[in-house]
Amino acid sequence: MDDENSNGEKTGRMPPTDNELMELVRDGKVEKLAILFERHQTMLYNFFLRLTGNRAASEDLVQEVFIRILKYRAGYQGENRFVVWVFQIARNAHVDFLRKKKGEVALDDQFAEAPSQEPLPEERFEADQEAVLVRRALDKLPPKKRELLVLFRFQNLKLREIAELLDVQVGTVKVQVHRALKDLSRIYLELQGGKAS
Amino acid sequence: MNCDKIQDRFADYLTGDVDEASRRDVQGHIVACAACREEIENLTAVWAKLGVLPEEQPSGALRHRFYAMLETSKNEMAAAEKRPARAHFLSGFGEWFSFRRPAFAASFSAFLLLLGIGTGWLVSGSGGKSARLSSLQREVQDMRQTVAVSLLSLPAASQRLQGISYTAAVQNPSAKTLTALVNTLNTDPNPNVRLAAVEALYLFRNQPGVRDSLIDSLAVQDSALVQVALIDLLVEIREQRASEALKALIKTEKLNPDVKKLAEQGIKQLI
Repeated sequence: MDDENSNGEKTGRMPPTDNELMELVRDGKVEKLAILFERHQTMLYNFFLRLTGNRAASEDLVQEVFIRILKYRAGYQGENRFVVWVFQIARNAHVDFLRKKKGEVALDDQFAEAPSQEPLPEERFEADQEAVLVRRALDKLPPKKRELLVLFRFQNLKLREIAELLDVQVGTVKVQVHRALKDLSRIYLELQGGKAS
Repeated sequence: MNCDKIQDRFADYLTGDVDEASRRDVQGHIVACAACREEIENLTAVWAKLGVLPEEQPSGALRHRFYAMLETSKNEMAAAEKRPARAHFLSGFGEWFSFRRPAFAASFSAFLLLLGIGTGWLVSGSGGKSARLSSLQREVQDMRQTVAVSLLSLPAASQRLQGISYTAAVQNPSAKTLTALVNTLNTDPNPNVRLAAVEALYLFRNQPGVRDSLIDSLAVQDSALVQVALIDLLVEIREQRASEALKALIKTEKLNPDVKKLAEQGIKQLI
């Protein structure tokens, strides 16, 4: 077993990039996937959590993404940023998940509760209320707009990368982001009980 | 610049990805156009509000599942590399080596059995193949551990029991296997599974850290059955360091009187 654990490749001064690691995984050093997992599990988990509103399903989906990464590792080209490739896989996994879950109601109740059991400090209370409202507004957006905003706002993807991911022109993405934000703003104000603009 | 163009620029504007000229254009327009000004204010506000959504951490279970999956893949690849002549036999291995397949455990047992028969055949057959034999034996051991650790994380108690019985057949358990067993002992919801874990850890009592884990576990257990099994074990292996833990256990509120009695006897036996 010991001979399987040796890390033959040289280690540079800089930590290896995602692309370098994924190329190693592709070329047979599958244990390097652990580093990619540690780097990206939280980001992917939050991506799915914002899309599904379901913690258990989000963990299942993260696991599914890494299973697919291993399965399709031979097809990794390294032309784009690693995360763009991962988001392609993540989006497919999410589509399959929706197909399976069709008809079930989203468990947005999960977000009504605070993530931690300890009582919230007073100064956090207001921010927390606002987070609940933003969360609900996001849930009310049509799935495609929600996905677009989550990708754009939280995942640090460039507009060009999102365009590539969604297979549309960059200009289209810009217009769609604008519209999605407008819808979100309207829904948020409605939920807040204010006047819709 | 007209109102439509503002739409095109807005996404860039939010990310700060605009050159100075564009920014001036946008600002010039919104100074003059009240509608666009209001819209940009609204959208910037909602953009900022999205920032209040907290980032959550996935549970440790996700990490556990990932590493179990990775371990399985690694082992199957290593197995394929070690025996290139049998590559065709192993190529389909990954396909059925999946714990989501209901028939997996049964078919894996059959596989181990075949491997065992093969090992036996090699032993009786030729003495010159000892290197190959030890590699095969090691492989069986590694496989067993991988399977055991993965089975321990499954929802059905029967599968977790099976996982424990797999570990019992391991000669030199890895730290990972031992940790999985100790975790099962301390956290498994089913007392029967925890009992089985006590028995398996008894076999590994001379491995580093196992005795400490067994002592520490006394404070965690709430089932009298498991407490009794642990006390019996610690007394049997004459683990004198357990005295303190037993004294602490006796002081526990609502401790079963039989367990208390046994713990008191245990302390006397360990002195």
